[in-house]
Amino acid sequence: MENITINIVNTIGDRYGVEAEDGQKVFELITTAFSDQKRVNLSFQNIEMLTTAFLNTAVGQLYKDYEEIFIKKNLSVSNISESGKVALKRVVETAKLYYKDPDALKRSIDEIIKG
Amino acid sequence: MSKLISINNTFESYQSLITLYENYKAELFSDIHVEIHQFFAANISAALGAVLDKFNSNLNDIHFDYISPQIETILSKNDFLTYYGKQRAVDVNNTTIKFQKLKPTDGKYFKSYVINELIEGHTSDLPRMSAGVKEKIVEAIYEIFVNAQIHSESKFIYTCGQFYPNKNTIEFTIVDTGIGFKEKINRRFGSNLSATQAINWAIQDRRTTKVDISGGIGLAVLKEFISMNKGKMQIVSSDGFYQFGCDGELLRKFEGEFPGTIVNLQFRTNDKINYSLKSEIDINDIF
Repeated sequence: MENITINIVNTIGDRYGVEAEDGQKVFELITTAFSDQKRVNLSFQNIEMLTTAFLNTAVGQLYKDYEEIFIKKNLSVSNISESGKVALKRVVETAKLYYKDPDALKRSIDEIIKG
Repeated sequence: MSKLISINNTFESYQSLITLYENYKAELFSDIHVEIHQFFAANISAALGAVLDKFNSNLNDIHFDYISPQIETILSKNDFLTYYGKQRAVDVNNTTIKFQKLKPTDGKYFKSYVINELIEGHTSDLPRMSAGVKEKIVEAIYEIFVNAQIHSESKFIYTCGQFYPNKNTIEFTIVDTGIGFKEKINRRFGSNLSATQAINWAIQDRRTTKVDISGGIGLAVLKEFISMNKGKMQIVSSDGFYQFGCDGELLRKFEGEFPGTIVNLQFRTNDKINYSLKSEIDINDIF
């Protein structure tokens, strides 16, 4: 399988990876590359600010369509800041749980109603 | 005529703003007279601006019949009163973070606002924050702004802040006039939660109303940072009030409803924690 690099700054045209809409652009490139049998390296070089909202759409939603083992094998990251790494790990762990049990949120509402 | 007296970041002050809104929300083509006395926390301009804009959208005329001179100076320095026909004043102490009214799609303007007002502005003067703390504060403010963009369904987002060098704090307030936590959650899950129940649900980790996309981390991350920084966060949404700070958590109900959501953040600028420490996360073990 061929390796390609997706440069986030270039993809979103910004050093701030903060808006969910921009995350969607990154997500679409990753899925296109995966469909074309490419391994993806996501480069965070020169990214100065990240929000979890951006990372949720860029990376988190991959877990809806792809198995964890597939993502582990075909996606890597580089040049990410320490705080970015912490945020990304948290986004990934949240996504894994969310797609394993999408009804958990509804149950948490029901629990409040039941008191 | 409505008098706003000693408006700060307290439950009672938010109640005064809600009462102002409730008193005039049904008015159309009227003259609304407001007086501001004694004290007005500059950052709360964001919330007052949102309420007055609701009145403006009903084609009412706003008249400031009296503003205490000191308050008028501050609200002229932070640009708030320039939206109401007053002249801008120069902020020689450089402690204001300007009042801004943005469309949710104005993310790029918000970025230059944050850079000018928080990152590059105020570098030569007060307060001197460590780079790590400044980055965490900006990150927290962004999480809230993006939340308002995604969830509020508001036409505008109002922001304002203030440095308090003597207290070593920054206050920053983000306000929208959208559907609020209660409506958003109840629509998504077909539930009937109260505003306080809805806020309390949303601030827990991994709670999101988004469909098919995981999330709900932003508010939890903010709360963790506020806890380490020994700051304070407050959420006013519909008739719900939530506060988290050194004194713990507080949930209360207002008389009447705020027409949207206020998030008020207080950060300590003399925080000595090193937030740039290397994490133990292996870059090859993220997925």
